[in-house]
Amino acid sequence: MSKYLKDLTELNGASGNEKAVRKYIKEKIENKVDKIIEDPIGNLLAIKYSGNPDAKKLLVMAHMDEVGLMVTSIESDGRLAVQPVGGVDPRVLLGKRVVVGEESLDGIIGYKAIHLQREDFSTPPKWTNIRVEIGCSKKEEAEKKVSVGDYIHFHSKFEEYDNRYIGKAFDDRAGCAVLMELIDNYNEVSFDIYYAFVVQEEVGLRGSGAILKHVKPDALLVFEGTTAGDNPELKEARWSTHLDNGPALSYLQSGYVINEMLFNSIRKTADMNGIPYQMKGRTVGGTDATRAARTYFGVPGAVINVPSRYIHSPVCVISRSDFDNVVELAKKIVSNDDYINALEGWK
Amino acid sequence: MRELIKKITEISAPSGRELPVQKYILSELENHIDGYKFDNVGNLIVWKKGYSDNPKKLLLDGHADEIGVVITNIDEKGFLRIDPVGGVNPLMLLGTTIRFNDTLGIVSMEGETAKELSENYSKPSFDNLFVDIGVTSKEEALGKVHIGMFGTYNAGYHDLGDKIVSKALDDRIACAIIIQVFKEIRQPENDLYGVFSVQEEVGLVGASVAAFDIKPDMAVAIDVTAYSDTPKTFKRMDINLGNGPAIKVKDKASISDEKVVNALIDSAKSEGIPYQMEVLIFGGTNAAGYQMTASGIKSGTLSIPCRYVHSPHEMVSYADVTNSVKLLKNLALSNNI
Repeated sequence: MSKYLKDLTELNGASGNEKAVRKYIKEKIENKVDKIIEDPIGNLLAIKYSGNPDAKKLLVMAHMDEVGLMVTSIESDGRLAVQPVGGVDPRVLLGKRVVVGEESLDGIIGYKAIHLQREDFSTPPKWTNIRVEIGCSKKEEAEKKVSVGDYIHFHSKFEEYDNRYIGKAFDDRAGCAVLMELIDNYNEVSFDIYYAFVVQEEVGLRGSGAILKHVKPDALLVFEGTTAGDNPELKEARWSTHLDNGPALSYLQSGYVINEMLFNSIRKTADMNGIPYQMKGRTVGGTDATRAARTYFGVPGAVINVPSRYIHSPVCVISRSDFDNVVELAKKIVSNDDYINALEGWK
Repeated sequence: MRELIKKITEISAPSGRELPVQKYILSELENHIDGYKFDNVGNLIVWKKGYSDNPKKLLLDGHADEIGVVITNIDEKGFLRIDPVGGVNPLMLLGTTIRFNDTLGIVSMEGETAKELSENYSKPSFDNLFVDIGVTSKEEALGKVHIGMFGTYNAGYHDLGDKIVSKALDDRIACAIIIQVFKEIRQPENDLYGVFSVQEEVGLVGASVAAFDIKPDMAVAIDVTAYSDTPKTFKRMDINLGNGPAIKVKDKASISDEKVVNALIDSAKSEGIPYQMEVLIFGGTNAAGYQMTASGIKSGTLSIPCRYVHSPHEMVSYADVTNSVKLLKNLALSNNI
């Protein structure tokens, strides 16, 4: 069982509201690294130096934020109108509980009963028709508890059974947990390791841009929660990943072809250590590796994913063995210089 | 230049896999450059020093990558599924062949009834097409290809006189033009940089970072553009093959810097080189990447009108190509930078 995964996923931190996650991670890693920096936009950067002044720099990255909602107005009947923060399908919200604002008020998202639906039964609800109920019957009453701009998060408890973890925000608290495991299991290496926990990935890869110029890394490795898509409504040939098949490796994603040398280095490390892995079957969706390749002087990167079913919903499911294998693979990669040196002789 | 264009377009090098074409470019440029480097993301950057006392820096960009496909799944019988690398219309894949290194792939369509097959053909999508590489099992397929392997159109060069047809004229024609400019200029007035950039087709990756250390005074992306000289084509455009290189004023991704536009116009007028002005209501070029690099770079685009862009058979006018070389030579030798 991961030491951090339960805590991390139960914390609330939609994009722009990562402070609880940042505080938790900072407390847990504080005495284990050489330096910690909180940058002006909220990214958390931890550093383990090799002691060598000419050392290369490896940047490992995960994003702290999750998708959520934000209050856009308080209606006269005391219910809250909302908009999504990041990519949220309104269909996953219906009949769900949420927590509202700093005080974590209970909220409920309902929809009109099936009895009253006609054509709209077959179409997704519009955002303009989604309301969050917080037990108030008047605007004035609700205004005492909530204000426009308050964040709303999924209400989900972490659970485990058999080979499954269930909860919210595995995208990308799973990645954060991997980075924290790496810090716990640090082995001395010839290069400096920068562990970046970044903000605002879900709203457009915003946080990672600022980290890059500060670090000027030689290579980047991103840990992500990615979509499984191994649903019955999709044919197997078009699944993205499959639970229990191991860490998922990306070779192409939205806006970036993963660096070939870094990709091959990951495969080699997995093969040598007998760690199972799978290739992502879909190429859509971006990660901070896209931002890194296009920012400042350009940083080449690769991505290792934890497959998650029902991603960006209050009930995500990941495989315990997939997560453990991502941690194992990550540990092997950062414990030797194959990855950081993979770019030598590239071109 | 025809031989150069034939060789450079026939190389298979989709986004992220540009090295084969970059190596070829370096071999062509041997003895014609003062130096070269590959940057962090894999851009090939070459240069020639200017002779003026205070040389400015002119950067010419052509992207080395072409569109392609990537294998995403191999089934038990050895059939492949693919996703596009860059803007590939699945319609273009039907009836043509693609190649993954030496392995040829035939593209066809699913359909469990005649009606479904005809519907799939009328709305082709990467969800319902598959690739046949002539094997009978997954094991046999894995001897030739793998998931994550990149491929390109299996199409070649055809010389039709003034018109030249090939795959990947987008944007190897620019690479060929830049090579020719470097070959024909013994010593430029200003420092001349050539960037053979990576991953344009997936999102202007290379051009977003190539100039960060160079900080050029002017960057000109050279790329293909649309046309309005075929039956019932775009109404609101006036670009014709053979009427000269097109000086871009605006497209959907960038507005060309006025100084760059005027410098390109002057470079054409000074020798009576034909040119046309271009406003493209869609699309974008690497100029958008350069424009926003570091503290900002004056950028623009010189376009080569090209029919059937992103198809296996793109078409340009050879006269437009040689006129582009002349125009860019004039720019490099001018004091307009």
